[in-house]
Amino acid sequence: MRAYPYPRLTGSVTARVTAVRLRGPGGTREQLDTKGYSVVEQVVALGRAERDDWQTARLALTATVPAREIETKGHWSDVAVVAVLTEGATNARTVARLEPDVEGGRDWIGEIEFDRDDHLDRATLAVHVVATVGGIAGRIIASTDQEWLIDMTAEAPLRERQLDVSTVSFARGAEWLRSFRDAPWIVDTAGRMPIVRLNSDFEGLVELVEGHGSKVESVVGEMLLAQMCADVWTAVFHTAIGDLEIEDDGTPLFPPDWRGAVLREMLPDIVPGRSVEDALREVHIRRTGEGGWTDLQPRIQYAAARRAEVPKALAGTVRDIERLNQETHA
Amino acid sequence: MTSRPEHLPERLALISDVQAAEYISTGLLEGREDVPSIALNKVAEALPGDDARLRLHRVRDLIDDAMTKFRDERPTAADAWLAPRLHETLRLTRREAAEKQLWTYMALGVAPDYVVWRHLSEPKADGSRRRVARDKFVGAHYKQTFARLWWAAELFRDGSDYQPVVVACGNQDMLNSALRLDIVDHRPTAQALVGLMERGTVRTGREVNALASAVNAAAATLMYDDIAPDVERDGEPLREWVAGAESALPSPRNNLPEGPEQERVPEGAVRRLIAHFEELFADASVRGRTSDENE
Repeated sequence: MRAYPYPRLTGSVTARVTAVRLRGPGGTREQLDTKGYSVVEQVVALGRAERDDWQTARLALTATVPAREIETKGHWSDVAVVAVLTEGATNARTVARLEPDVEGGRDWIGEIEFDRDDHLDRATLAVHVVATVGGIAGRIIASTDQEWLIDMTAEAPLRERQLDVSTVSFARGAEWLRSFRDAPWIVDTAGRMPIVRLNSDFEGLVELVEGHGSKVESVVGEMLLAQMCADVWTAVFHTAIGDLEIEDDGTPLFPPDWRGAVLREMLPDIVPGRSVEDALREVHIRRTGEGGWTDLQPRIQYAAARRAEVPKALAGTVRDIERLNQETHA
Repeated sequence: MTSRPEHLPERLALISDVQAAEYISTGLLEGREDVPSIALNKVAEALPGDDARLRLHRVRDLIDDAMTKFRDERPTAADAWLAPRLHETLRLTRREAAEKQLWTYMALGVAPDYVVWRHLSEPKADGSRRRVARDKFVGAHYKQTFARLWWAAELFRDGSDYQPVVVACGNQDMLNSALRLDIVDHRPTAQALVGLMERGTVRTGREVNALASAVNAAAATLMYDDIAPDVERDGEPLREWVAGAESALPSPRNNLPEGPEQERVPEGAVRRLIAHFEELFADASVRGRTSDENE
């Protein structure tokens, strides 16, 4: 860890993109659909836009900062929250100041706009809390742990171009993996980000997923990846909901990291038509014994499959198999 | 010496690192061989469309003039002259300029003779051959012969005013060390660095390097964007400038050209940073001088 010659915040700062609007030639406007950005991946996939000739993109942002810590510790004055969008390949740097949603509140909101012509591939978006400390203005007192990636051309908001998959022998791997020796894969939610562990003892599986094999193998491999992805979403949802901080009055709080982001993303599909705060309370009550937890499972499964694009992958697989059949018969 | 390519097509093209590697021979790097231009253009990927910006001769003419003008001077002197004019002639967006294959083509397909003339190393006492560093043909934006000039012009211009570019390119250390640092992506910071050169606060290469690294180190805990905010970037003037390439005259050879009509960097922001950097530099140079005396 770095040492700093001035006090910094210990609480974490998170940021999320809440809307993406694009403008094109002749004043055309487009709102990117919600599948174009992901709060768990922290990626915006601008390739999802209907038109690829957009000129400017405007991201609506909400940053959550440890407001109480700022207030109680009192080291800092002139506190500002600043979003910075950069891309090394084009030396581009765009900065926007966010404003408190409510005076003294945790959430700061704002918008950052950039030009397509200023970017090549992937820009990163970070949020910094800046303040005057010990008479020195402009000190960075906290930053988001993980930056958002703004991908100019990707059609899916994925951080890794594909799912983060690591291959390991379950039989000879870490102790806890041995009990899963028969499983083809498991989702590991213990780390900072969930990872899929692929069992290298399962013959032929690795080749299938890596898609190095024949056409048939790559078709099946893609389906398998979508299925794994759905498993990841289900697993992270359960991890997140099982580990909530509860306020004195019984209100569950959104975790500040990716777990909170996952919940915000999935809850609208699990408890439709309610605010995310209400939905969280509802799900929490159901899980802790008031009943109805079982009834909720299909909805969780649905929300996970939707995010993992299982229907799309399946439709693609069906189509590819048809094509392969035709080729075989031709 | 490597000569002007025999075959120059009408339009600029792209060439990948892998394809380029075949043509970057030891003979070329030592300035003894030419690039086989017909073969090179067979593998290069011609850029589609009839965009005026991609007409090869506009750039080649400019480079010819640079070599004539600085024939009897040190080749480094050409940088400050060529950077703004190259920028104004090409009228690229940053997205286009980030395409390394274009710069590689410029070095191999348009003007390998310029690369050799400009970057051939000084004769050495041990009599070893003079040589051009490979990254002057294919290299990072702060190394490659033409990319570094274009990016210097892009990052140091003050709106449409290229004068700060001339100042920055007048010192090789500013060009080499500042350009590779992210701090110059913040326009007021870039202008403040130029301001300190103009005031004579920093003169020598050693001083410029000390200043750049002090400013860069301080940026780890200080947000210059907050201390000295820039105006919001507007892409429209740039789009107009790009569209105006069709009717543009060749870049003026005596006067400075004009860049896109983007808003100037706020003066107050630059003044604040100049004052701030002066203090940083004073601290850094005190330490620097002590170590100099020990040398």
